[in-house]
Amino acid sequence: MITPPNYTPVPGPGSEPPVMEVGHSRIRLLWARTRLALHSFRTGWSIFMESRIGVLSLVIIGIFAIMAVVHPILMLTIWDVDTYDPVTGYAFDQVNQPAAPSWRHPLGTDPLGRDVLSQLLWSTRSEFVLGITAALVTVAIATTVGAVSAYYGGIVDVFFMRLADLFIALPGISLLIVLSALFKLNLFYLALVIGILGGFGGTAIILKSQALSIKVKPYIEAARVAGGGHFHIIFVHIIPNLLPLSLLYMMFTVTSAIFAEAVLSFLGLLDVRMSWGIMIHTANTGGYLMGGTRYWWLVVPAGASITLLCSAFYLGGRALDEVVNPRLRRRHD
Amino acid sequence: MTNPQSAPVLKVVDLSLRYLTRGGAVKAVQDVSFELAEGQALGLVGESGCGKTSVANCLMRLLPDNAQLVAGQVLIDGQDILSLTEDKIREYRWQQIAMVFQAAMNALDPVYKVGQQVVEAIEAHGVEATVSLARERVARLFRMVGLDPALMDRYPHEFSGGMRQRAVIAMALACDPRVIIADEPTTALDVIVQDRILRELKGIQQQLHMAVIYISHDIAVIAEVTDRIGVMYAGRLVEYGATEDVFRAPLHPYTAALMGSFPSIAGEKRVLANLSGEPPNLIDPPPGCPFHPRCIHATEVCRQEIPPRVQRGSQWADCWHPLEESAVPESVEAGEV
Amino acid sequence: MTGYLVRRAGQMVLTLFLIITVAFFLVQAQPGDYASFYALNPDLPPDVREQIRASFGLDKPLWEQYLIHLKNTVTGNFGVSFGHFPRPVMDVLIERVPRTAVLFLTATVFSFYIGFFLGKAIAWRRGGVLEYTATISGATLFTVFTPAFALMMIWIFSFRLGWLPVGKFLDPLVWRHADVTANHVFGQMLLTAFLFTVFAFLVLWALRKTGRVALARWAGPLIAVGAVVVLLLWSISSVGGLALDILKHMVLPIVTLTLISFAGTMLLTRNSMLETVREDYVMAARAKGLPEKQVRDRHAARNALLPVVTSLVYSLIFAIDGSVIIEVVFSWPGTGLTLLQAVRTEDLPLVMGAMVFIGLFSLLAHVIVDILYVYLDPRIRYQ
Repeated sequence: MITPPNYTPVPGPGSEPPVMEVGHSRIRLLWARTRLALHSFRTGWSIFMESRIGVLSLVIIGIFAIMAVVHPILMLTIWDVDTYDPVTGYAFDQVNQPAAPSWRHPLGTDPLGRDVLSQLLWSTRSEFVLGITAALVTVAIATTVGAVSAYYGGIVDVFFMRLADLFIALPGISLLIVLSALFKLNLFYLALVIGILGGFGGTAIILKSQALSIKVKPYIEAARVAGGGHFHIIFVHIIPNLLPLSLLYMMFTVTSAIFAEAVLSFLGLLDVRMSWGIMIHTANTGGYLMGGTRYWWLVVPAGASITLLCSAFYLGGRALDEVVNPRLRRRHD
Repeated sequence: MTNPQSAPVLKVVDLSLRYLTRGGAVKAVQDVSFELAEGQALGLVGESGCGKTSVANCLMRLLPDNAQLVAGQVLIDGQDILSLTEDKIREYRWQQIAMVFQAAMNALDPVYKVGQQVVEAIEAHGVEATVSLARERVARLFRMVGLDPALMDRYPHEFSGGMRQRAVIAMALACDPRVIIADEPTTALDVIVQDRILRELKGIQQQLHMAVIYISHDIAVIAEVTDRIGVMYAGRLVEYGATEDVFRAPLHPYTAALMGSFPSIAGEKRVLANLSGEPPNLIDPPPGCPFHPRCIHATEVCRQEIPPRVQRGSQWADCWHPLEESAVPESVEAGEV
Repeated sequence: MTGYLVRRAGQMVLTLFLIITVAFFLVQAQPGDYASFYALNPDLPPDVREQIRASFGLDKPLWEQYLIHLKNTVTGNFGVSFGHFPRPVMDVLIERVPRTAVLFLTATVFSFYIGFFLGKAIAWRRGGVLEYTATISGATLFTVFTPAFALMMIWIFSFRLGWLPVGKFLDPLVWRHADVTANHVFGQMLLTAFLFTVFAFLVLWALRKTGRVALARWAGPLIAVGAVVVLLLWSISSVGGLALDILKHMVLPIVTLTLISFAGTMLLTRNSMLETVREDYVMAARAKGLPEKQVRDRHAARNALLPVVTSLVYSLIFAIDGSVIIEVVFSWPGTGLTLLQAVRTEDLPLVMGAMVFIGLFSLLAHVIVDILYVYLDPRIRYQ
């Protein structure tokens, strides 16, 4: 028989290692799992960073995050509230409103005399809050629905998948137009509605098919044999393995949430004090948009911000897709 | 069965190929040379990951983007196909050299009728003037491989595994190629179908006087249908010779181990030797003889020096400690040293 | 296959039912009482009010109202619009639904074709300039803030260049002396387009059926001749100028909607194609010595099309949503604009009616996708 030189015999029944203390082994298990997660995170990260589009999107998201943080600092230091408040401020230093960009107002003022840069920065924070809330709601619902319907199958599965089919068939923007017009939604309820629409819809179907492939892995069987309950298996073994894909769909949900908010604000249907969509709405209702390039600062900063942040999350999601889904990767670089 | 004197139709000279990957260059094929005459059948054996399929892809010049030809020639009637332009290579494929794909691996496009996929090859090379003549030709090919010509207008998903394999063979024969490569042609089929299809393929080969290269990990399958056998390990051809000679008395311990891994066809009692471990990582292959980490005969010299070529009649092997003619069964039975 | 179609039909009926229900209860749940809106609406003469009260059962309990509403909806009775009094909701919608359908179907066909074409090109040659340009510009257009982009299009093509009208469905100056209604002309245009499509399909089908390559080559010229004849007939007809006016108004909305929605199909085709190029049948096609174009189009792209068609539902629903926004910005009097105007003026019967019709569009999307899929995938066809 041909054997490799470093062949080590499989321990026989007599030579089992001493049984470890339960607490100790659990800590070890946790540690091993953390290390494994860290390792796969590092590999994923290096693949992600190799994609130019991924890096670009991360940089853009980073810049917007800084913008969100900068606003309160500016308000506390060099910007006085009377002039620079995004909603109630008025630029007394300008004669005509809207005023063109100047040193005191780098992006000019809007038709109501409010500083455009301040509005832009202030809105960034609420866009992040909205996007991330909606994404968390979507992913929490979709992951649970996906894992549960993959694990139990049968009638549970049929129910959730038919429900998802129905949710997919709903035209989201039209529904949101009716909802926000009839109920004057604020940001939080908007995030909730978008989250629910996404969570029970397409995202649940995709996460379920992923959960199905996890369900047949040997360690799930092992956990079942070891006496793990349904709840334990779903939440400890299946859902953690769904997280990378969930993260991917979080990115896409952020895009659609920011987009939906902007459209509804543009139509003047939301109960929101200031946002990028409202900035364009204000300019549009004032008739400044057909002035073309003359009043560019009323529409370009807000329009570009919506587009940039949406694309950044979208492209980031796509770059992440290449990490999560190895089949899309290029074979060499 | 063969006329050894006829001029080689296919000649592979010092072929070396590597794949550029994230981890480094994978040296998939190194210095592989062999010849094939008309009507001759050659078998390439080895475990998966030993470079058999890479050799086949080189012969078809069907290489992924990250493949890099380092050296070597593939000559068909003296024409080096590795230097042909893309347009020329298209004419050469299927007319000179065709391939029998493993049908279980979806070599048939699911959205077209099976006959249509054969007609497509005939049309691409202008073998027949009109579609109806091409269809008649497909009907003849279907009969030759034992399929009802009426099945031409069926889709692949309506075929059984054996039927698909026959269709893939018919497709390979579509343009009267001079050489056919059969890459694991029957691996996914059950033993009875496998046996029948192999025998039919051999009959067709003799009838049409083609050269065939069989590629398999199963040395027993190859033994039945080939005249020559080449054993590949870690991208190299490590043993080569007439099938009977190699089977009677392998020179290389790897060949012996491969033979031991499968039940003997002769039915004689022989201990099944297990080949443990896996083929080496080809990004950074072991120094000396690539087989030394798994070889029971390995000594210091195997670990450091490239082994010399040992010749015995038509048979040769690259090994420091070639097996004696009589020593084979003993060495296999000897097990641990 | 019959089972598959029956199951899909069942799902669609269920979806429609759900949309009607959601629309009804949303309107019921909004602040203010639906019934009293009707009862107190000063626009309504007393006898009409009584009639509505009876036909909608407004004095009955909610669940009974719901059942009556279901029955009314199924029979096409959406009540009378507040905003367009005394026109029935159905009357308003019948006029506007085709306008949305044309906008959204045309844009979808264009964007699908462009997206598929670009997607297969960038998957085939990876890492080129085309891939970066197409991915970035596609994703930007896909995520662009649609209203701002649409306004920009208007500004460039209508104000600066003056090539196309600013918006709306027609130019009143052109129509001032017209003795036909816009709906009549538009209806005839639709009929022409439909008949022409049928003609083109028949030509393609008949020539393909002969199985002769030489004859199939005549399909293009034949259809072109047909198109010329149709255009000639229209240009000599009395309403040719009016039709041209409507067409001019259609260009910009359709182009804009196409631009914002092609990227979805493009990126999806790319991903799908990246998987099919690794399939053995693509390798086999190449081994057979087929020209690269044939390997790409007939094998890799043809199979990549299947998942793209499955996801076409998403693209179509994206286009429905997009067309709502486009209609609003371009003042295109379709279902989306009607919906927005109705919610703003609290024209609740019209809100419900428009929602049901937008829901019908999304069902239409499902039907189109199912038919395409059955046609494209022999494995489903023969189940």
